Amino acid sequence: MRIELKNFKKTFGDITVIEDMSLSLESGEMLALLGPSGCGKSTTLFAICGIHRMTGGQLLFGDRDVTLVPSQQRNVGVVFQNYALYPHMNAYENIAFPLMIRKEDRKTIEKKVSEIAALVHIGELMERKPAQLSGGQQQRVALARALVREPDILLLDEPLANLDAKLRLEMRSEIRRIQQQTGITAILVTHDQVEAMSMCDRIAIMNKGDIVQLSSPQDMYQNPNSEFVASFLGNPPIAFLDGVVTDGGVQLASSEALLPLRGQHGLPSSGMPIRLGIRPEHFQPENPLKVTGRISFVETQGREELYDVTLSNGSVLRSIQRQGGGYHLGDEVSWGIAENQILAFDASGARLHMGALA
Amino acid sequence: MRRTDLFGLGFMAPALILTIMFFLAPVVMTGVYSFTNMSTATGISGGAYLISPATIRSLTEQGFQGDAIERLSSESYVVDEAGLEAAEAAGYTPRFIAEIRSTLLGDTFTGRRDFERALKDLSHRPRSIRDLKKATELFQKSVLNVRFETEADFQSALSSLNLNLSPAEAVFLTETAYTGWIWTSANYDRAVNLPSTYRATANSAIYVTFTLAFNVGFGLFLAITTFYLPSGQAAFFRTIWFLPRILPPVLYVLMWKWLTWDTGFLSTLLSHFGVPPHNLMKHTATHAWVVVVLINGFVGASMGMILFSSAIRSIPQSMLHASEVDGANRWQQVRYIILPQLRWPILFTTAYQTLSLLTSFEYILLSTNGGPGSATNVWALYAFKIALNNYGGNLEYGYGAALAMVLVIIGIIASLFYLRLFNFKSMITSPRIEQ
Ligand SMILES: Nc1ncnc2c1ncn2[C@@H]1O[C@H](COP(=O)(O)OP(=O)(O)OP(=O)(O)O)[C@@H](O)[C@H]1O
Ligand SMILES: [Mg+2]
Repeated sequence: MRIELKNFKKTFGDITVIEDMSLSLESGEMLALLGPSGCGKSTTLFAICGIHRMTGGQLLFGDRDVTLVPSQQRNVGVVFQNYALYPHMNAYENIAFPLMIRKEDRKTIEKKVSEIAALVHIGELMERKPAQLSGGQQQRVALARALVREPDILLLDEPLANLDAKLRLEMRSEIRRIQQQTGITAILVTHDQVEAMSMCDRIAIMNKGDIVQLSSPQDMYQNPNSEFVASFLGNPPIAFLDGVVTDGGVQLASSEALLPLRGQHGLPSSGMPIRLGIRPEHFQPENPLKVTGRISFVETQGREELYDVTLSNGSVLRSIQRQGGGYHLGDEVSWGIAENQILAFDASGARLHMGALA
Repeated sequence: MRRTDLFGLGFMAPALILTIMFFLAPVVMTGVYSFTNMSTATGISGGAYLISPATIRSLTEQGFQGDAIERLSSESYVVDEAGLEAAEAAGYTPRFIAEIRSTLLGDTFTGRRDFERALKDLSHRPRSIRDLKKATELFQKSVLNVRFETEADFQSALSSLNLNLSPAEAVFLTETAYTGWIWTSANYDRAVNLPSTYRATANSAIYVTFTLAFNVGFGLFLAITTFYLPSGQAAFFRTIWFLPRILPPVLYVLMWKWLTWDTGFLSTLLSHFGVPPHNLMKHTATHAWVVVVLINGFVGASMGMILFSSAIRSIPQSMLHASEVDGANRWQQVRYIILPQLRWPILFTTAYQTLSLLTSFEYILLSTNGGPGSATNVWALYAFKIALNNYGGNLEYGYGAALAMVLVIIGIIASLFYLRLFNFKSMITSPRIEQ
């Protein structure tokens, strides 16, 4: 089902959490709400499922305006961050609860519950109380409870935050599988960019109550429209060089070094400050646009190795390379930047679109 | 014993001593007293031997008859040397004593009157009638109304009466004449045989059941309704409902009296609708019970409210949110999410209040004082009145202690039952795979 949030506003007393936010989801799409803690992700989610009343704006499920419909009648499935299973009911009763409330008959309930339990692979745990389930099992029960009454929309509030690394990896693909299998429209709230990128069709990055960019994971990574987005996506994170635009290129701050970005158009006029974002995979020994610095940190990540290179002006660039480069801490190196991959931002953090001269 | 055990015992010692002194000892003492017939009449130290008209009455009831009773109850005066010596020592004039010796020595009088008359006839008798009467006492030979401090004295006095009693009768006589307390299990027999005991039992059952139901029910109602109020209003209502508990009981009950008196608020209000004024607290048994249950109930409900409120607030917010998006309305939320999670606080309150209600009677004492009649006389109040606050003035400590003991035993049985119900062990060791 199509979901549309128009000019959503939310205040708590004097505190305005969300000023004016619009968002729409295609039917069957899974969207990630990604952003730092306190940016209003949960608030948005709670408004969509009706737990919080919207201060302003409109919410449409399909063609139906549900802005004022109480959450009981919205038919939204929610998986809460702490799962919020009912501790006095066993797994079966937990999952059956929404159906029981709807007074469906026993046979139907049994059939639906066992179907959904099979889907999330917890058929054999039905008798257990939540306290007797592992974190991952609890999570599956919560998911089953959210899905069992075939909701119009599924909302997941940081569903993986409480799981260990391995389980998180497993559940990521599980949730995606189930979402695709059921074809349900879903919103995933997370502050983990890897989760957002690997599970969702599109990502909405939020900052301080605003959606700063909304696009597909790939596009978001390659074409961030702001310094905030660029720094939010990518692991290891992007590194920035501050500088000033000159005739010959970019003069790095408090340094003699000049990056000769000659082949680029779209640079602002001379004398303007500029920030250059360089992702670790684009700072490699073989690239032509060399900068010199000293290796100040080495982190082995198994297949790859992460280097921090401190330039003479104190800026740090990161580089990720295959194992076996033979570089050591303290080595003086002169590695190159992939010129056409540089992301440039102005002083306010907005993206400057540059391109190679034809 | 290992050193750590000793160490632990050392730490425990003060608590242990206090427990023994202030809890165990009173219970044990109550148990001990319950097997005595202590009362105001017997005192709590030793006693003496005394044949009083009451003793004679109970002897007669026990089948003593004829000569023995006659002799025990009759007053006899014998003029002998011992009596004369006593008179001398008491300071009567030698002439008077000599006259008695010469005219009356060896005579026996039954009844003080006769002897007095005989003395009056003597020419050297003392001037004052009082002295004369005193003189008669010196020759008294009967045991009636004479206090013997030791059993030996008592027995020798009896032997001079030649009662010809069987050994069993002699023992019974001694026991009956003893004014001090003795060991006995008669208290319990008496408790079992008195109809008033059953009345008190039934009253206690009514009192505990209804008050408890009101306490828990109303406490729950308040906790749930205040939970759904905005926090400011909720705090306001909680404070109001907490007032009965922090009000001094006497004041609180006085307010109830003012409310229910025949010239009080309710009667005045009702009189406008043509209802004749009544003292609602004591008008009928039903009225009295309603008032008693309400007085106690409002106090108890405030405690339930606080307990239940905090238990409800400890339910994670997200669980309530989850139930809302799952489609549950308020009532279903209360029914399926909140109430089941209040199981332990409800059980706890029930257990705790059963025990405290069983033994509490102060609000009843202050309000209906067990009335009308003994309609609201619960077991604890019954025991209190018998042991410590009796109309007749004879406080029966022993019997009261026995009644209190029954409460202690019921309390222990109830605690054991509740402990089982709580099943603490299984609560503590519920299996957790991962947390
Ligand atoms: N009931 C409330 N009253 C006042 N302020 C609130 C309330 N709920 C949330 N806020 C504020 O709204 C802002 C957004 O909160 P929200 O819970 O949506 O953050 P979030 O993005 O989900 O963060 P996190 O990743 O930590 O869960 C926060 O600054 C928070 O302090
Ligand atoms: Mg949140």
